[in-house]
Amino acid sequence: MGILENLYKMTAIQAFIDNPGYLLMLAIGAFLLYLGIRKQYEPLLLVPIAFGVILANLPGGEMGVVPGNLIDLGGGHTKNLLEIAHDHGIMNFLYYSLIKTGFLPPIIFMGIGALTDFGPMLRNLRLAFFGAAAQLGIFIVLISAIALGFTAKEAASLGIIGGADGPTAIYTTIKLAPHLLGPIAIAAYSYMALVPVIIPLVVRFTCSKSELLIHMKDMDRQFPSNLKIKNLRAVKIAFPIVLIIIISVFVPSAVPLLGMLLFGNLIKEIGVNVARLTEAAAGSILNTATIFLGLCVGATMTAEVFLDFKTIMIVVGGFLAFAVSIFGGIMGVKVTNLFTKKKINPLCGATGLSAVPMASRVANDIALKYDSSNHILQYCMSSNISGVIGSAVAAGVLISFLQ
Amino acid sequence: MSEMGVAFELLGVGMVTVFVILALVVIIGNLIIRFVNKFIGEEVKTQSKGSSNLTVEINSKKLAAIVSVVNLVTKGTGRVSKVEKQ
Repeated sequence: MGILENLYKMTAIQAFIDNPGYLLMLAIGAFLLYLGIRKQYEPLLLVPIAFGVILANLPGGEMGVVPGNLIDLGGGHTKNLLEIAHDHGIMNFLYYSLIKTGFLPPIIFMGIGALTDFGPMLRNLRLAFFGAAAQLGIFIVLISAIALGFTAKEAASLGIIGGADGPTAIYTTIKLAPHLLGPIAIAAYSYMALVPVIIPLVVRFTCSKSELLIHMKDMDRQFPSNLKIKNLRAVKIAFPIVLIIIISVFVPSAVPLLGMLLFGNLIKEIGVNVARLTEAAAGSILNTATIFLGLCVGATMTAEVFLDFKTIMIVVGGFLAFAVSIFGGIMGVKVTNLFTKKKINPLCGATGLSAVPMASRVANDIALKYDSSNHILQYCMSSNISGVIGSAVAAGVLISFLQ
Repeated sequence: MSEMGVAFELLGVGMVTVFVILALVVIIGNLIIRFVNKFIGEEVKTQSKGSSNLTVEINSKKLAAIVSVVNLVTKGTGRVSKVEKQ
């Protein structure tokens, strides 16, 4: 009998009976895996996040991230990494070394930079402004969240979902409200996956048929630009170097994200001489960082932390932030069209939030539905890429004000 | 200042900052393009030594002969995709 009792104590059965929340979290993890594998919603991130959720909610597995107060020794001191690994397991070691330090999001930004082409933005520079208008959702949801009882730091972390940029949302949350990291990362990546649903929805309620029929190439023919780029490669190499220096003067707190993004882009544009670096940044380093980021973010979603009213608010608020950002970009175009002869298709504003390049593809598909010759992909990419810069700058402002 | 006051301040400061930075992106982009156009000039396009050039170097009569032989041997199912000189 004693043996059977010891055997029972060794298992996690009693823990599941004591806290059925674990089972609910396992179901949520399985659902997220379903979305990632079957529905292919951002599978590169959703699959590691979902599996991290499952690992974190296996009682006795010690794979769930513990709250910061268990790491804090008081007097401004915290446990060192060896102590964290010893006391709380390897997932906490990974979380507190790679995530809590803010290490992985900039590394991922370096990889994104190495995959990004600033060419479409440089060819259509005036459309870059709409990357700013589309950050409206961040600040509107920030105000709404404070009105609903969130602290300013929590509200800022929630609002940044409206930037539609996963690493930026994670970086901001790590800095301002690390206890909300799990739900915010899930909401950010889920809504990014739902861009093909959210953009058409907002466009349907805000744009008329005549606006969606604005033919961008016809406009270019009628009002040609007087600035031709003679040497695009040289411009693309100079651009990230000059830009990061200028941005660092105005928003130094955005430098970790944008600095790495622009470094990644620079090595891509230099070309064959540093091809090995580009390959590493956009390949093995980005993939490795993505695995650890996903698993660690998932591991923050323990039953105690996730099953909370704030999680529901984050899911709703995240959607609003997304929708308002798209609305802001569209309104930015509409206002511009009032004052210019060279009209712009409002879909170019809808892509002002990040979510590169999915937002542009979705906008292009909508434009083609109305006019099969109206290919606006390269125009949308301009505001889409500037949206990455815009959301990182907005994150920098929030961090420097609230941290 | 109350949290709501901070939120409205952030709305103002944040949106203005984002607009200013993206305005700088536009200005910097324009300045770099003008600078490069004036001082560096047009990009020199170097011809790559790809396999397509090798195909071009082959005399068109010889290429036609190769294609017709391949057609004959494969009874119309084969296709010449690349011809290289050793």
